[in-house]
Amino acid sequence: MKRATQAVLVILCIVIFLQIACKKADTIIDNLESEWLNGGSQTAFDQGSSSFSHMFSGMSALQNRVHEVGDGQFSATFVAAPAPLNPGLGPIYNNVACVSCHVSDGRGKVPGSGESAANMLFRISLPGIGEHGNPVPIPGFGDQLQSRSVLTASPEGDVSINYTEQSYNFADGDTYSLRTPHYTFINLYMPMPSNALLSPRVAAPVFGLGLLEAVSEEDILKMADPNDANKDGIKGQANYVWDVLNQKKVLGRFGWKANQPSILQQVAAAYNGDMGITNYLFPKESSEGQTQFSSQPGSKTYELADSLLYSVEFYVKSLAVPVRRDITNPAVVRGKALFTQTGCIKCHAADLRTKVNVAFPQVSNQLIHPFTDLLLHDMGDGLADNRPDFLASGKQWRTAPLWGIGLTQKVNGHTNFLHDGRARNLMEAVMWHGGEALAAKNNVVQLSRSDRASLIAFLESL
Amino acid sequence: MKNTFKASLFLTIPMVLAASSCKKSNSDDTQQASTLKAQILADVSANVCTSSYQDMLDKANVLQSAVTALTNTPTDANLAAARTAWKNMRVTWEETEAWLFGPVEADKIDPRIDTWPVDFTQLDQILKSNDELTEAYVDNLDDALKGFHPIEYLLWGQNGTKTAASFTAREKAYLTSLTQNLVKLTTSVRNTWSNGYNKQLATAGAGSTEFTTQQAAYVQLVDAMHDICEEVANSKMKEPFDSQDASKEESPFAKNSIIDFTNNIKGIMIMYQGNFSVDGKGIEDLVRANNLSLDAEIKSKYAAAIAALGTFSVPFGQAIVSEPTKVQNAMTKINDFASTLDEKLKPFILQQVK
Repeated sequence: MKRATQAVLVILCIVIFLQIACKKADTIIDNLESEWLNGGSQTAFDQGSSSFSHMFSGMSALQNRVHEVGDGQFSATFVAAPAPLNPGLGPIYNNVACVSCHVSDGRGKVPGSGESAANMLFRISLPGIGEHGNPVPIPGFGDQLQSRSVLTASPEGDVSINYTEQSYNFADGDTYSLRTPHYTFINLYMPMPSNALLSPRVAAPVFGLGLLEAVSEEDILKMADPNDANKDGIKGQANYVWDVLNQKKVLGRFGWKANQPSILQQVAAAYNGDMGITNYLFPKESSEGQTQFSSQPGSKTYELADSLLYSVEFYVKSLAVPVRRDITNPAVVRGKALFTQTGCIKCHAADLRTKVNVAFPQVSNQLIHPFTDLLLHDMGDGLADNRPDFLASGKQWRTAPLWGIGLTQKVNGHTNFLHDGRARNLMEAVMWHGGEALAAKNNVVQLSRSDRASLIAFLESL
Repeated sequence: MKNTFKASLFLTIPMVLAASSCKKSNSDDTQQASTLKAQILADVSANVCTSSYQDMLDKANVLQSAVTALTNTPTDANLAAARTAWKNMRVTWEETEAWLFGPVEADKIDPRIDTWPVDFTQLDQILKSNDELTEAYVDNLDDALKGFHPIEYLLWGQNGTKTAASFTAREKAYLTSLTQNLVKLTTSVRNTWSNGYNKQLATAGAGSTEFTTQQAAYVQLVDAMHDICEEVANSKMKEPFDSQDASKEESPFAKNSIIDFTNNIKGIMIMYQGNFSVDGKGIEDLVRANNLSLDAEIKSKYAAAIAALGTFSVPFGQAIVSEPTKVQNAMTKINDFASTLDEKLKPFILQQVK
């Protein structure tokens, strides 16, 4: 009896061994299954140019339909009022449709020197703190520079971008080069105060946000260490921002500075600020208060139907996360170890679990790998925009999620990273890190050429 | 002793099983299949994608000549010729929407030439303004003020009642610049395909940086085929139909919507067969070599969708009200076709192409 069991065991082992040996090296190995699934059960198995655009699986027919309506609305082009379809654009705006900046639900491309900024915008403010802890709007401009307008109005102005380039060395003598952007206001419709603060923001990918929204506040705060009590040099601070709907301060988790508390508010603010489409949350035109506002046809009600606003919120909320690739590739495996050893993972947290939500099982109790702690970190002078945003200082940025980052080239046709797209590839993005991330960056500087390639191979696999 | 014997017997069976499942069929067959897969990509890249954008550019140039003739000599014959040229170019563009990936997406050509709705309010303001209507001016305008549909609006008028004599000087200038801009953007897609992107697709899995595996390229092709199917059924047709709102209909001035939908679906078969103007290898050849019933299903679902689109007796904007069962039937047939592409062709590709 015992021998029979042993024999069976042996056979089993051999069968398993043979099956593994039979597979090619680049196929899935089952015991790593959770590692492939960046979005937990809501991982999309597509590695192509549509990989950011997949709907959650297993939803009800109604949810699928709302997602589709939201999808249609996300790509709807707005035009000047009056119009039979999608009226209300502007009078001042940055773009005409959600999808115009979030191309293929992905990352905005930064303009080259001299080109106008189509997939990014500029937040502006005066020094100080506004009534809700927010940045102080600039009279005549508000807190965002709208660079386009309908024909009967004037754009607020634009920003010209120029880059200066400097070379640096890795420890082994290899060089890398970083470009520093310089911004100048141009074509302003009225003078801008000389103490105006400016912060460039590239359109960020919009998939996986429903999962990030489902991470509990407690779990995020557990990762915070604002006084660096554990003396590892990494702080991590929560931003508390104004919740327009509930009229109170709550944890911020979306946007480059975690300045938006929810997907709904992010979407509503973008409609209003980026396209000039007034809505339930933000019923006033962004141009209200400007001298040119009075010349615009007024609207007694806001422009976007609530059902459409909520459908776009749901669309964004139910976009799945692309699957990881090549995780058994030796370079990727090595890169993963280096990601931990160099300290990247201290902020780019690999494993989060969403809270239980019986009403929406797709985001309930999922082990996800977003590679962010959703917290603010001092990123040093190099990356500083010197423009506070609620509790985020001029040097702090929210840890950017890294999931799907290796698909940026495929989906968006470029590899511009960081809040203003200054990094032209992943390694440049790594080398821009400073402040709390300086030690990690210095560790990367010390890596050999092949280890650096492995680290990038790992990032490319996300 | 007995136990050991049994064990070794058990051992042998799985080993044989494993060995046989591991073994590739015949090395000649494998070689042939691999050559075919590469050949399909090379043919599709050259004969379908690149040559379709060349064809679209040729037709854009014809449109431009027709518009020049119309603006110089505004006769109704010249107007009819310009309208025909617009419709002809539209045929190719709608077909290419079945391979809407690569430069046309990355360089944002699609929104710049085919945005709906038209911004009538601002279009009228432009015509009334004193702005100089150069091509550069048009290029700077919002997408809703350039491309196919503003040209359509100018050529047909709001109700399709435009006459050659009614063209104002401003309309002529705007129309001329719009057409020049369309030629420019079409040239850009054609150039990006013929100067490098064609090789990206043709060399998938063999040096292509865009498609590091052949599978990635095939998935891109099949996804694009499926996407346009979905878009026609669940967006282009469904949105105006569900809301009974003809303002959501594309190409209403030329009453061209049903032709647009049909050419979208036809593009899928063009891609599948690798036959735009020259019949090269297509995905069809890989399917036929392995699964004839799948090939038959794809073709019958395609035929049913095309047939359903051929039943309308009025333009789409009216059909959503007066022929609802025909609209529903067409959407159903197109969705059936989409399901076959997504649920049968795609798994087939994932299995066959690595």
